[in-house]
Order: sequence, then structure tokens, then C-alpha cells
Amino acid sequence: MSNSDDHDHDHNAAPMVEEISDFEVLEVAVRELCIEKGIFTQDDHNQWTEYMHTLGPLPAGRLVAKAWLDDDYKQLCIDDPVKASLAVGVDWVNSMPSKFGTPSDYCNPRILVDEPKVKHVVVCTLCSCYPRPILGQSPEWYRTPNYRRRMVRWPRQVLSEFGLQLPEDVEIRVADSNQKTRYVVMPTRPEGTDGWSEDQLAEIVTRDCLIGVAMPRADRKVDDKRHVHKAIHPYGH
Amino acid sequence: MSKSIPLLDKIGEEGRVWNDLREEYGVENPDPPWRVTLESTCEALNEGACVLPSLARRDEEDDLVDELYSHIPHPERQLLALAHSMIIRGIMTEEDLAQHLKVVEKRLNAA
Repeated sequence: MSNSDDHDHDHNAAPMVEEISDFEVLEVAVRELCIEKGIFTQDDHNQWTEYMHTLGPLPAGRLVAKAWLDDDYKQLCIDDPVKASLAVGVDWVNSMPSKFGTPSDYCNPRILVDEPKVKHVVVCTLCSCYPRPILGQSPEWYRTPNYRRRMVRWPRQVLSEFGLQLPEDVEIRVADSNQKTRYVVMPTRPEGTDGWSEDQLAEIVTRDCLIGVAMPRADRKVDDKRHVHKAIHPYGH
Repeated sequence: MSKSIPLLDKIGEEGRVWNDLREEYGVENPDPPWRVTLESTCEALNEGACVLPSLARRDEEDDLVDELYSHIPHPERQLLALAHSMIIRGIMTEEDLAQHLKVVEKRLNAA
């Protein structure tokens, strides 16, 4: 594992709660017991959580879809993410697309391209730096000490808690965001998507895939109807 | 009258609620970070699995809050009521939860 931690956090980060409460522990314990008992899966839960934060494809999802279809554009994403972002309607430098933050926050986006044996994941260990213009508001869990502290130390364990089990031979690279540099993950294109249009592809690149805690799948769209598996041992039925 | 559950009573008495934490740390977010995942758990328990239908859960939550958790703010009281409903319905036992709380607490505080 390698960490991109050569960064500057010398800006006024929003204050954070730096302790884990008994209620936070209770919420995690209840959820994990449900999963352990087969009532629902981690993936079912992720879909609900993601659904509550984002509806419809994100600009970054569109960027990834275009790059999957066009090698030249993919190279532009790597070489000049600011220019590549213009193609999906996001101007990092000259405007404030999300109407929050300051333009200076967004001048150095970076696209981290996954490979079959290399998986990237994004974190901000000291605060909650996030590529908001192209990815919207950060999810609550991204801002928790639990995620921020543990991802850089035990990324494989934390990813498994999101339901993403990576083989041992896949290298995990954790990118630590900062004031100027905001990362977006470009995951590998999943199987079962041959011949798909850009619109179709954009629909499966979810927020969690772009942070790096999930992998896109042909059967999982951003705004799918929420699906929960039948309980293995349903209560009272 | 609902019967109290000692494990949940203890969390209700000793746990630090979000309003106190955000005041201490100067955080503006009105909701704790676990709020959305709690809502997801409630939704997942309802849909498809039908283990704990939303209407039944909310009815029970109202009763439990009136009888046991009225001094706890929202969403902490929602979380306690959910855990309470799951225990009295046999979805999990108090022992299950006590044991797993220790595991989670150790894990989250390891970093």
C-alpha cells in the first residue's frame, strides 16, 4: 500500500467531532448484527445510504463513462483533469459549479485510474476535503474519524466493511486529499457492459465507486429501485 | 407498559448525544454522521425482508419514547427504540448486542 500524504492542510477546515460516541457504536452494532443474521446484506444497506445522498448520475460518473469509451479522453483525464472536466460541464477554475466553497479549493483535481491489480481509494485524514464540484457533497461517513483514521492504516479491512473484498494480490493505494488536490477514482469498466452507450455506462458509476469504496457493476445503477433480499430466517412469517 | 432493557438504559444514560458533541466541538451539522445509516437500516428492515415493517416500528418507537426514552433527543431515541424493538421481537438478543457492542467499540477505537 502507498499513501499520498505529502500535502498541506494549512487551511481553515470545518471543525469535526473527534470522538466515537456510544450511540455511534450502537448504530454500527445493530446494522452488523442484521447483516450477520442474513436479514439484509451490506450491499442492500449501501444502496439505501447512497440513494439518500445522490439521485441520478454525477458529473464524475459521466467523465468515467466517457473515458471508458474514448482512450484519448481517458488520457486527457490523466494529463489534464481540469480540461477533461469541462466536457462534463464542470469548470474547476473559473466558476463555482456547486455554489459553495471557493474556486481556489478546486484548482488541482486528480483522476486516479484503477487497474486490474491496483485499486485506489480516497480519504481526507485531517478533515473532509472532497471533490465537491464533480461529486457533490461528501457523505457523512467520509467525515467520520472512523473512516478517516482507519482507511490509511487498514484499508483492506475498511473496504471489506463496505462489502468490497479485494484479493490479496490487488494493491490498494490510498490517496489523502488536501486543500488543493482533490481525487476522483476511475474504476475499471465492469464485465457485461460491451456495446453500452455513454448514458448507460454513466448510470452504473455510483458515488461510492468514485470514492473507491465500491466497484461498478452492470446490474447496479445509481438510481435503481432499492432492492432488499428476502431474510433467510424471517421473523414472524 | 414497556419493560426496560438494562443494556439500552445504560447507553441512554452514559452515551454522549450529538447535540452535546457538536456544541463541544463547534460542529454545525445538525445530524450525527450515523443518522443516514440508521435510516438505511430501518428501510432495509422494512423493504423486502419485512422483518420490521416501518409502520409497526414507528408505532413502537412512539410508545417506547413515551414510556422509556422521552429524556433522550432524536435521533438517539430512534436508535434506542429500534434496538429495543429488535430485542423484544427476538430479531436479536440483548446478549448478542452486548457482545457485538464490545467488538465494534474495540474496532472503532483501535485507530
